[in-house]
Amino acid sequence: MFCLFINAAMKRYFVRFGVSLLLYAVSLVLSVLAFVHFRPTGVVAYILAVLPALFIVAQIAAFALYLSEEKDEFVRNLQIESMLWGIGATLSATTIWGFLQSFVHVHPLDLILVYPLYCALSGVSYAFVNMRYK
Amino acid sequence: MKNRLRVLRAERNWSQADLAERLEVSRQSVNAIETGKFDPSLPLAFKLARLFESTIEQIFSDES
Repeated sequence: MFCLFINAAMKRYFVRFGVSLLLYAVSLVLSVLAFVHFRPTGVVAYILAVLPALFIVAQIAAFALYLSEEKDEFVRNLQIESMLWGIGATLSATTIWGFLQSFVHVHPLDLILVYPLYCALSGVSYAFVNMRYK
Repeated sequence: MKNRLRVLRAERNWSQADLAERLEVSRQSVNAIETGKFDPSLPLAFKLARLFESTIEQIFSDES
């Protein structure tokens, strides 16, 4: 039987992550609309450009907070191991792509994609790390 | 690390979920410790020892 274990620290993390994700989506739409309709310049342009990224930073902070609050050391260990594999895989992939960009002029990597790439690779890593303990 | 958790659990007729609840960890954690795939920290080892009214050495042995 499949049983999803969700403790109090995880619940708090899901709430924080969900709120950050929602604010990210709202700020992204607002920034895009502002740039399309008002073509802001100067400091306002910088603030609007950075605003959605701040909520990505909030998601990373929410995960860091979750790790500090997680009382189940085995679960925490799984998360940290998956995160490290995710970071390693993301650094490897983006570094390889960077060299390809420099020498054989492949399509430039949009840096906005690095965080979603990390999330995807961490997710895949979690599945593999979790399998080891089955 | 070898351990006697399965035996100690069976003596008390506890499932992995029962033990997990008493330790305030996931059932997956208990399974990983019991099968020797994950070594618990000292605080968790002491908690186990208190729960089974034994010493850490009576539960865990460092033979591979």
